[in-house]
Amino acid sequence: MPREKRKAIEMLNISKIYPDGVVALRDVNLTVYEGEIHGLLGENGAGKTTLMRILYGEIKPTKGEIKLFGRKVSFHGPWEAIRHGIGMVYQHFTLVPTFTVLENLQLSFTSVEKKVSESAVRKNAEKLMREIGFEVPLDAVVEDLPIGVQQRAEILKILLRKAKILILDEPTSVLTPIETRELFRTLKRLKEKGITIIFITHKLKEVKEITDRVTVLRKGRLVGTVETAKVTEVDLARMMVGREVFLKISKTPAKVGRKVLEIADLWVKDDRGLDAVKGVSLDLYEGEILGIAGVQGNGQKELVEAIAGIRPIIKGKIIVDGDDVTKKSTVERYKLGLAYVPDSRLVGLVLDMSLIENTTLTNLHKVLTRTKRILWDRASKIAVKVVKELDVVTPSLSAPVKYLSGGNQQKVMVGREIVREPKIFIVAEPTHGLDVGATEFIRKTLVSLRDKGKAILLVSTDLDEIMQLSDRIAVMYEGKIVAIGKAEEFSIERLGLLMGGVKA
Amino acid sequence: MGLVQSLIRFKERIRVKYEEYLVTTIEILVSAIIGFSIGALILYVLGFDPAKIYSILFTKGLSNPNYLLSKSTPIMLTGLAFAIPMLAGVFNIGGEGQLYIGALVSLVVVTSTHNPILGILSGMIAGAALGTFKAILKVYRGVNEVIAAIMLNWVMYFLTLYLLTEKLYNPKIPHESIPVPEDARLGKIPTPLGDIRLIFFIAVIASLIVYYILYYTNVGYLLRVAGLSPQTAKYAGFNPNIAVIYSMALGGAMAGLGGALLLIGYVYSIDTTMSTLYGLGFMGIGVALLGRNNPIGIIFSAIFFSMLIIGGEMIELLAGAPPELADTLTGVIVIALALPYTYRMLISYMRIRRMMKE
Repeated sequence: MPREKRKAIEMLNISKIYPDGVVALRDVNLTVYEGEIHGLLGENGAGKTTLMRILYGEIKPTKGEIKLFGRKVSFHGPWEAIRHGIGMVYQHFTLVPTFTVLENLQLSFTSVEKKVSESAVRKNAEKLMREIGFEVPLDAVVEDLPIGVQQRAEILKILLRKAKILILDEPTSVLTPIETRELFRTLKRLKEKGITIIFITHKLKEVKEITDRVTVLRKGRLVGTVETAKVTEVDLARMMVGREVFLKISKTPAKVGRKVLEIADLWVKDDRGLDAVKGVSLDLYEGEILGIAGVQGNGQKELVEAIAGIRPIIKGKIIVDGDDVTKKSTVERYKLGLAYVPDSRLVGLVLDMSLIENTTLTNLHKVLTRTKRILWDRASKIAVKVVKELDVVTPSLSAPVKYLSGGNQQKVMVGREIVREPKIFIVAEPTHGLDVGATEFIRKTLVSLRDKGKAILLVSTDLDEIMQLSDRIAVMYEGKIVAIGKAEEFSIERLGLLMGGVKA
Repeated sequence: MGLVQSLIRFKERIRVKYEEYLVTTIEILVSAIIGFSIGALILYVLGFDPAKIYSILFTKGLSNPNYLLSKSTPIMLTGLAFAIPMLAGVFNIGGEGQLYIGALVSLVVVTSTHNPILGILSGMIAGAALGTFKAILKVYRGVNEVIAAIMLNWVMYFLTLYLLTEKLYNPKIPHESIPVPEDARLGKIPTPLGDIRLIFFIAVIASLIVYYILYYTNVGYLLRVAGLSPQTAKYAGFNPNIAVIYSMALGGAMAGLGGALLLIGYVYSIDTTMSTLYGLGFMGIGVALLGRNNPIGIIFSAIFFSMLIIGGEMIELLAGAPPELADTLTGVIVIALALPYTYRMLISYMRIRRMMKE
């Protein structure tokens, strides 16, 4: 990298602590030179997007300083960042779907120039498109356009506002391979024009292919900034996933029993209607933990929701202990011995309801009379059992669970499934956001359940967790299982590469 | 073991429920005081003596128990019509139209069958049908329930008005509808407070039944889970859309019951300007808010609102204040009751600000 280049962006000692005490970023430094493509690499929750939203003025940093072209700035909102020549392309586009591209361009241009005519915008846009060498049909309605073209319209919109810095948040996650190639071609053209580009991603291949330099974040901290040409994908994988193993959980070899869950060629769509799970087949046996590793957004969530019956299945089969449940409802599947602990406590719990009411959620059929009356005495016995077995610390059984700590909320979610004594546990991100003590407790609980002969499907983006707990590991990437095997066959580097879409 | 558990439970109930109710009660009281103070200020600015007006409001408002409780009956039920869907996360402002259709259908049924029970049931069914219709529009066609309710309220208003003036009017007194037959009217029952209309007790029983449904049956549980967190309902295998439909059906039935009871047990006929019905549905929103969407709380808040209505009429009569004054007072109090949400928002905002500074 030529050193005489100007520094376009300097972010110094940026920290972001949320009101609930979650540390999103701690003392992160980022320097981006003018006219380079700078990769921002990290696992989910590493703080990539938060850092960029701070740069874009959307979030205020708790601490830290931002300099643009050497001048200190402090934005009150994205509109100020836009005036300073920063543009951001989100994963979800900010176009009005029922407007034409031109109308969208005009709308956004009014933030720079209040009274701009449609013909002026058209002239500028056409000139710009010739310069960059890409095509967007200006008179087409946005929602009729393919995603890749919508993204181009979004980029055009930002460039039209004379942006000098372009931030792209995981731009390829919505694109097909061909669209990705076109995007990269565009980005290279933009770079030649002197536009500075920040490219947020977790895909190692893309980092190698497109970026000049790359900054790696892990768990809200800066790991380092390197010149892309000087590192290998393995180096990057190691930087991204780290090596810290902070907990030791002793585990005896698995005593595997019958097959209790069989998934065959499962296809599931995500909320946007795109294929999220693409032909996944898995078998799960009694007495084992099968860990599914992968960066968030590679279809894991859709996979487990489909198994639980919350998300419709496009194609494929799910068999629970010999019963084909593909067409069965969630409640029927739970009754057949399936338990699902979702990745988010917002999904699994009704925070404004009491502990009793929350433990009743998946145990409802046990506390109902024939006339569908709820026996709250019986329900509170279940709650007491959960509290006792998992050592839940709570002010009372009738206090809303929002007053419980995250760890105790997690214990409630796991505990109410344990007392049902199911055969299969589907557990997603069981220790996300928990402190060390709670994490250890939950992990030990999972191991003891496995030792009791339960089958556990563990979905986690935390590689330490996967490595520690799993007897077998499967890696999901872009909706497919790209590797599956015994835990010993995977090193953390290999997992990192597989998760980044590199064959290893 | 059993003893320990019941001890734990006992302690809990006392402590938590007590704290919860205490906080709610304090909130309501503070809001009422703020509301009455602002009301006093308005009265003072308009040149009235607040002390005198308020003394009329309370003494006259509470002087006739039968009148007070009879007036509270329809708004108690339209209060439930708002509260039940609210708990399921639906904003039902259609209590007004549901009340009209309930009164209208029960009038037709009761005059043709001379059976008050059939009349009441048909009113409930009509209200429930209207509620369900809106719920289905919302769930399956994505129609916003507020918009649907606003439009359907007017449809019901003009439909009722048309039928009253064209088809169901009393030939002897043309500005009134045909009356409920004498043998089908609900009367009063004697109590220590004097004779009280039967319809009040029916409304109270309805509130208690709703309380039971909401807090002691699986339907009520499903409804509350879906209202607080639709995604959790889905996770637990409940369909949040079903909750929307159930809640709107039950809420509609309550408003329909309100219309039917008002007709069969109190006014016996509807005047063709519909002044006997107009506004009772909207009043229910205030009743539900003051009662914190709790069916038991709604019983008391309906009586409080009834006092405001009656007292307001007397203010007009005795102090010569404009009739809008009573409405203004009611409005100010309802707004003040929304204040607790504001306190909470302010507190959390201040906490975030403090965190940011650190």
